[in-house]
Amino acid sequence: MLRLLSSIYKEFLVLIRDRAGLAILFLMPLVLILIMTLIQDATFKTVKEASISMILVNNDHDSLGEAIRKGLIESEFFQIVEEIDGEKISEEQAKDAVAKGKYKIGIIIPERATEAIRGNVDALINKSFKTYSIAGVKKRTKKSSIDIIIYIDPATSHSFKNSVMSSLKEFTSQLEIKLFFKNFSMAISEMFPDQKAIEFESFETIKYKEVYASTTNSEILPNSVQHNVPAWTMFAMFFIVLPLAGNIIKERDEGSAFRLKTMPGSYVTVMFSKILVFLGVSFLQFLLMLMVGLYVLPAMGLPQLEIGPHKLALVILALASGLAATGLGVAIGTIATTHEQSSTFGAVSIIIFAALGGIWVPIYVMPHYMRILSQFSPLNWGLSGFYNIFLRNGDILTVLPEILKLLLFFAVMLMIAIGYNKIHRSK
Amino acid sequence: MQEKQPIIEIKHLTKVYRGSDVPAIDNISLDIQPGEIYGLLGPNGAGKTTTISILCGLFDPTAGNIFIDGMEYNHSSEKIKSIIGVVPQDIALYPSLTAKENLTFFGHLYGLKGKNLRNRIDECLELFGLEKTANRKIKTYSGGMKRRINLIAGILHKPKIIFLDEPTVGVDVQSRNVILNHLRDINKEGTTLIYTSHYMEEAENFCTRVAIIDQGKIITEGKPKDLVNSKEEYTDLESIFLHLTGKALRDE
Repeated sequence: MLRLLSSIYKEFLVLIRDRAGLAILFLMPLVLILIMTLIQDATFKTVKEASISMILVNNDHDSLGEAIRKGLIESEFFQIVEEIDGEKISEEQAKDAVAKGKYKIGIIIPERATEAIRGNVDALINKSFKTYSIAGVKKRTKKSSIDIIIYIDPATSHSFKNSVMSSLKEFTSQLEIKLFFKNFSMAISEMFPDQKAIEFESFETIKYKEVYASTTNSEILPNSVQHNVPAWTMFAMFFIVLPLAGNIIKERDEGSAFRLKTMPGSYVTVMFSKILVFLGVSFLQFLLMLMVGLYVLPAMGLPQLEIGPHKLALVILALASGLAATGLGVAIGTIATTHEQSSTFGAVSIIIFAALGGIWVPIYVMPHYMRILSQFSPLNWGLSGFYNIFLRNGDILTVLPEILKLLLFFAVMLMIAIGYNKIHRSK
Repeated sequence: MQEKQPIIEIKHLTKVYRGSDVPAIDNISLDIQPGEIYGLLGPNGAGKTTTISILCGLFDPTAGNIFIDGMEYNHSSEKIKSIIGVVPQDIALYPSLTAKENLTFFGHLYGLKGKNLRNRIDECLELFGLEKTANRKIKTYSGGMKRRINLIAGILHKPKIIFLDEPTVGVDVQSRNVILNHLRDINKEGTTLIYTSHYMEEAENFCTRVAIIDQGKIITEGKPKDLVNSKEEYTDLESIFLHLTGKALRDE
C-alpha cells in the first residue's frame, strides 16, 4: 500500500510541476467544448448575422422573380445583390463573380419565367375543361419548361447549397400552386357565374408537431448543449492518451523505468498508480466540462445542460470512459518507442475513434459498413451512454452494456501492454 | 580471499536478440564471490550491458542459468530484486522532483519508511556531499551531482549486491573520487559490487577481479594484478585490453 501511495504521490508531483501538461489537460478541453458548442449552437444565428451575399439576376420582372426575391430577402439569410456600381448585373458578370469566390451563389431567373409557369397552368386548366372557353385563360396546350440557373462557388458546402436549392424549390412550387388556384378559380366562376371567385390562401392543412419520444416522463429537451457537451467531453477525455503515453515514454527515456523494473514489484505498482492518477485527471476533466454545461454555457446565452436524475450512472460511466482512455494511453505508451510515434498515433487514433463514434457525423447517417465499424469505437460506447442518461433518462442498468464494453476495452488494452512487455523481456 | 558459496553464478549464459544472428552473449560462465568488486570490461557492444541487464532481471536469457544468492529469477524474482541495487548508466531519476523526493519515492518502493528512511536519506546525502542541495530539483543539478544521487538511489536500501553500469562516466575528478571511495567503503561492509567501465586505470585500481568480454565471450578473467603479471608485454590493464580486443574502433 505504501508503494502504491508513494507512486501516486510521485505521479501527482510530476503532473503538477508540468505546467504546459496541466494546461493541455484542463484548459484545452474547456476551450474545445466552449468553441465547439458555441459554433454548433450558433450556426443558424451566425448565418443570419453574417447575411451571406448572393447575386440575383432577375430577368423575369414578374411574379416568379418577385416571389423568389421577396422570399430570399424575408429569409434574412441572404443579402441580395442585384446591382454593381449602380448597374444591373448581367448573367456573365454574375457567373464571373461567383467563379472568383466573391459571392457564394448567383441566381439567374430567365426572361418570361412567370409566363412559362402561367402557360403551364393554363394548359392544365384547358385540359381539364376542354369544352369551355374561359376568359383570362389562354388557349395553350403545350407545356414549356424554364431553367433557373444557379451558379455555385465550388468552395460552398454541400449542405448550404442544398438548403438554398430547397428554399428556391419551395418558392417556385408555391407560385405554381398560387397561379393554378387563381386560374382554376377563374374557370369555375366562368362556368358557374353565381359562384364567387375563390380567394387563394395558404391552407396549411397539415401541420407538424415535434414530440421527442420518451418512455419516461422526462422533461429533458434535446438541444445543442445536450448533444455537444457529452460528445466533446468524451473527445477531450480521450486526449488524456497523449500526456499519459508521453509520461510512460519519458520515464523510459530518462531511465527511471529501467530502475523501476529492477525493483521489487514496483513496475506494476507504478503503472497502476499512473492509471489511478490519470483516471482522476480524466474524471476532473469530466466534472469541469459538466460545470461548463451547467454554468458557463447558460451564462453565454445557451441552454443549460440537464444531467437527469441518475447521477450514479453518470459517475460510473465517466469513470469507465476514463479507464478506457487511460488503458489506451498505457498501451500506446508501452508500444511506441518515441514521443513522435505516440503523439501522432495517439492523436490520429482518437480522431478515428471520434469519427467512428459519431462525434462529428451522427452514426445513423453513416453508410452501413461504417455503422458496423462504429460499434468498435470506445467513444461511441461512451457517447451512447451519455445520450442514454442525458436524453433518455437512462439509469445504471440502461448504460450497463456501454460501461461493460468500456471496461472490457480497458482490460484488452492492459493485456496488450502486459503482453508487449513480456515479449520485449524475452526479445 | 577464501572461496565461499558464489553470490552470483552464471552458467552457460547466452543471449541472442530477436532478429539477430550474432549472440550478444555467447555461453558465458563465471562465479562471483561475496564481497568482490567484479569488473566487466569490454569495448562497445561487447555484451557488458546485456549481461548486467540479465543479472538485474530486465531480460530473460536465451539459454543458460543465473543464480543470485542461490536464487533464480523465474522462481524468486521479488526476493532477488529486494537484495540487489542497480545504478544504471543513465540518470534514472525524475528531473522535476527534488533529490529528497526522488529518494523518498525509491526508498518507499524498497519498503523503507518513516524515520528509518528519513535517517538513511540524510546519511547518504551527507556521505555524498549533497545534504545542502537535497531540496533542489534534479534538473538543476550538475552532471557530477546527478551521478552521485543516481548512485544513492541504488544503495539506499543497503543491498547485498550492487550493479554499477559505468557509474563514473562523464563526471569530474572530485565526483569520481567521492563515488569510488564510498563504493569501497560500502564494499568493505560486505556488499558485492558488479561494475562496468571503459576506464581501464580506474578498473585496475578499483576491482578485485575483472573479466574482459568481447563479442559476447569472456576472453580473459582474473585479478588485475595477476593479469598484468601474466605476460611480459603487459604493462597495465589497458595494454591487456588493447592486446586482446584490438585497436580497431568499435561501434555499438
